[in-house]
Amino acid sequence: MNRILAACAGGAFVLGLAQAALSGTALVGTALADDLTIGLASEPSALDPHYHNLTPNNAAWQHIFDGLISQDAKQRLQPGLAVAWKPLDATTWEFDLRKGVTFHDGTPFDAEDVIYTIRRIPNVANSPSSFTIYTKSIASMEAKDPYTLIIKTEAPRPLLPTELSNLAIISKETCEGASGGDWPKTEDFNSGTLAVGTGPYKFAEFVKGDRLVLTRNDDYWGGKPTWDKVTFKPISSDGPRVAALLSGDVDVIDNPPTQDLPRLKADKNINVYSGLSNRVIYLHMDQFADDTPGVQGTNGRNPFKDKRVREAVSKAIDRKAIVEKIMGGVAVAAEQLLPKGMFGADPALEVEAYDPAGARKLLAEAGYPDGFKLVLGTPNDRYINDEKVAQAVAQFLTRVGIQTTVDASTKSVFFKRRNSYEFSMYLAGWGSGTGEMSSPLRALVATPDKEKGYGGTNRGRYSNPAVDAKIDEALQTLDDAGREKLLQEASDLVIKDYGILPLHYEVTSWATRKGLAYEPRTDQYTSAMSVTQAQ
Amino acid sequence: MSEPDPGLSSGAVVAEPETLHAPPPRLSSPLARLALDFCASRPAVAGLAVILVVAVAAIFAPLIVPQNPYDLAQLDIMDGTLPPGSPSYAFGTYWLGTDVQGRDMLSAIVYGLRISLLVGSVSVAFALVIGSAVGLVAAFFGGGLDSLLMRIVDIQLSFPAILVALILLAIFGNGVDKVIIALVIVQWAYYARAVRGSALVERRKEYIDAAVCLGLGTRRVLFGHLLPNCLPPLIVIATVQVAHAVALEATLSFLGVGVPITEPSLGLLIANGFEYMMSGRYWISFFPGVALVVVIVAINLVGDRLRDLLNPRLQR
Repeated sequence: MNRILAACAGGAFVLGLAQAALSGTALVGTALADDLTIGLASEPSALDPHYHNLTPNNAAWQHIFDGLISQDAKQRLQPGLAVAWKPLDATTWEFDLRKGVTFHDGTPFDAEDVIYTIRRIPNVANSPSSFTIYTKSIASMEAKDPYTLIIKTEAPRPLLPTELSNLAIISKETCEGASGGDWPKTEDFNSGTLAVGTGPYKFAEFVKGDRLVLTRNDDYWGGKPTWDKVTFKPISSDGPRVAALLSGDVDVIDNPPTQDLPRLKADKNINVYSGLSNRVIYLHMDQFADDTPGVQGTNGRNPFKDKRVREAVSKAIDRKAIVEKIMGGVAVAAEQLLPKGMFGADPALEVEAYDPAGARKLLAEAGYPDGFKLVLGTPNDRYINDEKVAQAVAQFLTRVGIQTTVDASTKSVFFKRRNSYEFSMYLAGWGSGTGEMSSPLRALVATPDKEKGYGGTNRGRYSNPAVDAKIDEALQTLDDAGREKLLQEASDLVIKDYGILPLHYEVTSWATRKGLAYEPRTDQYTSAMSVTQAQ
Repeated sequence: MSEPDPGLSSGAVVAEPETLHAPPPRLSSPLARLALDFCASRPAVAGLAVILVVAVAAIFAPLIVPQNPYDLAQLDIMDGTLPPGSPSYAFGTYWLGTDVQGRDMLSAIVYGLRISLLVGSVSVAFALVIGSAVGLVAAFFGGGLDSLLMRIVDIQLSFPAILVALILLAIFGNGVDKVIIALVIVQWAYYARAVRGSALVERRKEYIDAAVCLGLGTRRVLFGHLLPNCLPPLIVIATVQVAHAVALEATLSFLGVGVPITEPSLGLLIANGFEYMMSGRYWISFFPGVALVVVIVAINLVGDRLRDLLNPRLQR
């Protein structure tokens, strides 16, 4: 179905080019007003900030709402509705709240709003991906006075401030009882009635599939926002999104297709901004049982339970070639699950060298001198060039004897199949919502354990007690330096055990018309707050 | 009554010298006559020549192209998206360039044509057999069976072919065999309807009555007498449907529901190159597109000529 859209895209694209050529002056015309129009590759599924923990949704609510704490472009914590926070003891935190802040409807902000918000998180109906992962550790909350909040956790929780930065604070006075039932309903946020926050922009209109319109909040506590009016237009097909930018219909687009970047960069009327993201693209291998669904020619054995085979796969892949040829240079070869320089990434790890001869040797040692047959699962519309990367991986594996076919499907189908363990090897990606190493470690390689919130996306079912122990210990360590060291050690253990094979870190790009600048964000959020008038 | 009327027979004798001039005596076989008539049209001959060349190339593809584009071990992504005429380390030159996975476009196109022709001819053959059988049975037996079969045909024809094929492939999954099955399912109804139409006309003719009166078996009457006389329209439809089937397969693959991505047919090659069109790498989409158009036009030229020749109303 995507290709049907793509086909239409082609026509629109050509028209767009013609239009851009005809109306070169019109491009300049739109620069005068302080209105901003942004073309989005994927639109938020709802305006309820607690409904779906998904990048486009989180990017959208940042405009209307504020978190207690905010994350800057590099995902470092900054004061938000809390001006300061500190641990009182191992399990007690104190937050000093900002005074004099009002919601868009005039209701004042205080500690009761925060408590109400956190109590609502588990009570969102039909949430496809819940925010409860950020609130699980909270044992109790207490408003010492209207502007001092005490939060107690079950166990020491050094990540509490980071986790709270992912929660949008809603107004208790506005929301309580507004939807008839105990808790406000998602539909009332989508209609705008309850889309009332303290953020830099106010809700104006949301027509799903067509536009989200916001207007400036002149009373914003963080200073006057740049734009009078911000319009988000979802344009999911790459061609039309680029065409819309070239024709001046939109001022900014996110995720311009990598193959168009050279042309956009060469265009005098277009600026391109790129930045390393926190998203790693990885291969996960089924390491659970002795039989595995997608492998043939091993007499029923599961080759990936053997570390030598996992190492061989890693050595067989030329990550730099993938980055250069498939990603057009717009990615960075990965050595672990989070780029070096981010919290908990081990600076000592290096990208696996391409060594097909070594890979063949390891396969022979492991008892597979003639390789085996493998099906590699991949989504074809989720990550940048995902299907093409999977094909390139298949090419590399086939060359060392692992005859690989690619089973590509659309994201909803792929994730459903992956979650029911239909693949022996699959390609996927993980963006670290917290911007530090415990996020990918907990989600991707910790032994699955619902109670602890471990291994939620570990569909290779990798299990290593030593890694689990390090993560456990890190998550209880309040001291930043000590915690970072433990996370580095855990990362080192996983990578050297080839429990998961990182391929590359995505680089996210934004393209703007001339006269605008975009500050790239590692969390890949597309935000009007990141757009400034270039001087 | 059975005695010949002398007056009538003498009249026939008088007319005989005139009719003798019309058919040239050397063309006794109707097939030879058809061949000669066919060759009178140059576009049709050119079309046939193209089809023959493509068919030979497709059948002997592994022998004539430098690379097996379906063998991942022969591809090298470092050779990806090279423009036409670039040198290669493994063999001579990439005359038509390479795609992003390092596939030689010339080899990929020949292999793609192979899939196109295979899918086109096999699906048409199966659809032809199934459709003609249904049409003949409906026309011969008539009544309730006829109504039932023709309502099924009506229902089938009321859905757009592409929609039905998309749904079927969404259920079956990827693969050349599944594409063929889907195409047979969407195409058989055309034959059933056409055969029923001409069979109804033939059914009322005396030779069928004569065959039935002679006590010949139903099967022999159906396939020995009725079917051969319904063939001309069938041949025309089958030829045109091959072109339709090739186009439909390309469309399905373009939409990503046809063949697996590691074994691209023409439609998938076009889809893969499509996103590079605007970045100047036209060759990934362009050459497979040209190949597809040439093949479809050639088949249609041949089909059009056959229709002109086999349609009694158009006969000069």
